[in-house]
Amino acid sequence: METRNVEVKSEWQARLADLKYTLHLMRKNPLVLSGSLIALFFIALSLLANYIVDPNLAYPAGYPGKRYPFERSYMWNNPIINWGPGITIYKGPEFFYLGTDGWGRDLLKMLILSIPVDMTNAAIITITLAVFGSLIGALSGYVGGKIDELIMRITDIFFAFPGLLLAMVFASMFGRTLETLRLALLLVGWPPYTRLMRGQLLSEKEKPYVEALRALGMGHIRTLFRHIIPNAIYPILVQATMDFGGVILTFSALMFLGFSPSQALPELGNLAADGYTHIFNAPWLMIFPGLTILLMSLAFNLLGDGLRDVLDPRLRR
Amino acid sequence: MKLYQYIIKRLILMIFVLFGVSIIIFYLCRGFPTSLPPWTAYISPNMKPAQIEAMKIAHGFDKPLPIQYFYWLRDVLKGNWGLTGIWANCMPANKVFFRHFPYTVELAVTAAILAMIIGVPLGIISALKSNKLPDHISRIISLVGYSTPAYWFGFMLQLVFFYYFYLWGLPYLPSGGATGMEGIVPKLTGMPVLDGILAGNLEYTWDAICHLILPAFSLSFISLGFLARMVRASMLEILRQDYITLARSKGLKERVVIYRHALKNALIPVVTLAGIFFAGLLGGSAITEFVFSWPGVGQQALKAISEDDSNFILIYTLVCAFIVVTANLAVDILYVFLDPRIKY
Repeated sequence: METRNVEVKSEWQARLADLKYTLHLMRKNPLVLSGSLIALFFIALSLLANYIVDPNLAYPAGYPGKRYPFERSYMWNNPIINWGPGITIYKGPEFFYLGTDGWGRDLLKMLILSIPVDMTNAAIITITLAVFGSLIGALSGYVGGKIDELIMRITDIFFAFPGLLLAMVFASMFGRTLETLRLALLLVGWPPYTRLMRGQLLSEKEKPYVEALRALGMGHIRTLFRHIIPNAIYPILVQATMDFGGVILTFSALMFLGFSPSQALPELGNLAADGYTHIFNAPWLMIFPGLTILLMSLAFNLLGDGLRDVLDPRLRR
Repeated sequence: MKLYQYIIKRLILMIFVLFGVSIIIFYLCRGFPTSLPPWTAYISPNMKPAQIEAMKIAHGFDKPLPIQYFYWLRDVLKGNWGLTGIWANCMPANKVFFRHFPYTVELAVTAAILAMIIGVPLGIISALKSNKLPDHISRIISLVGYSTPAYWFGFMLQLVFFYYFYLWGLPYLPSGGATGMEGIVPKLTGMPVLDGILAGNLEYTWDAICHLILPAFSLSFISLGFLARMVRASMLEILRQDYITLARSKGLKERVVIYRHALKNALIPVVTLAGIFFAGLLGGSAITEFVFSWPGVGQQALKAISEDDSNFILIYTLVCAFIVVTANLAVDILYVFLDPRIKY
């Protein structure tokens, strides 16, 4: 009994030491540090957004009519930036840091409200993609044979598609709801995970420890989930972190191209879509939502890119 | 396995992939209720009701969906891709496609060249000064490119180089379109710049180049990050190899080691991935084309999707998929010639 306890403890200690070393490397890498700080900022903002700004401000009382007076749409009254001759100045009682959008809403408040929408959708999509994509890949790599061949040919087919177009066709056929958009992105995004996990598994399952475990009489499922997958998970983590940024981009691009369930939904691509026809007389409506998407996506890309270095065993010691 | 056996195997797989792509997209386009029933994609406005009925039977619209697919396949193999909707004047889908295709090719080729000119040196600098300031700067540039929303960047370029340059009285670039002087030179290739050069019309060529700069830069910026990262990774990998240590210990100059020994090998995976990269540009240019109202196929595909035009979506997807699989095959064959260590 005692020896067993000690073993478990030492395994935990080893894991903890490994984690500490990883965190130390992360602190030393400026890219990871800045990426994780910005990412944390956005995560915090998306948790707190509904407390900072009243979410009802996004949906006008008489929706789909306009809640705010028409004289407020596409207005600017922040004296710090002078956009040039084409814009209209708001002369009412309120002050807008980043101007107003086509509905007459305060753009800064809408940006804050739209961050949780983008973040939660990207999180749902990325996590589902990583879990299901790599499970299919693990199955393919571990079982091998005909199933492997079939799954790989299916990923070939999906790699040949122009991804955004497939997502758009899917979304336009099944109606414009958030669920459809998520499904569309899932449909497009799973093959890279599957290939990555399969590759990992093919090299991992040839290692002696797998043979040892099998010789000890451990079942296939337990070997796979308890031992092989934890050893092969790091590249998936990196891929998922970087994909998070990509999913934010694709999701907002679909919204921008008009696959939004509602024009009034505070979502970054949606806000930008409102702005692009007014690009010269209300440039802020394009600039600030786009910058926010860029920052969000950049944060996760920085994090993923740095994580790749930090977790890479060849560069590690 | 001999090379030709490998090629034959790959060709069979390629046909399989194209079948899969066409089945999925056919099912998505035709299997669900749309604003117009799918058989409208084969009628022109001046057909009589009896003709329409005959046409529906000729294209198998009275049969269930899986059988309709084979009717569609038969038509396509005969070269009949069906008609487009009113958005493209009910022209045959393949005609519309190949009229707009050269524009997309021109845009994608220019963008690919630009991305290589900027991306490859960025990657090399990054790898040579690994984890130092130049590396961080070049990685941040490529990561920003990687995480920029394509539509946003296009509009920002328009805003600055068209609108504000115009306001400030600077020489400004046109905001959209492929050329401002349509119909001056004969359309031989369909690509404005090339047509201008072939016709020897300097003014037209210059105008076409001005129209090309912003969309090509926009498209290349969002993809150069990918390229720079690839070069960096492969260069770092090569620099760790024994023969680089050997070259250094022979007393060769650092420049010779880098450019003669390392770069040549580091570029092998890059060159081979360039095909896939170019195919990706071709398929991914839709948003940039939309932003700059560039008359390429991507923009037409966006229109076709919003109009539920299944015929155009089908031809667009299939040609894109064809280019991707052909590029993959070409690259894998090229690999053998570039890297003599690889055999099939």
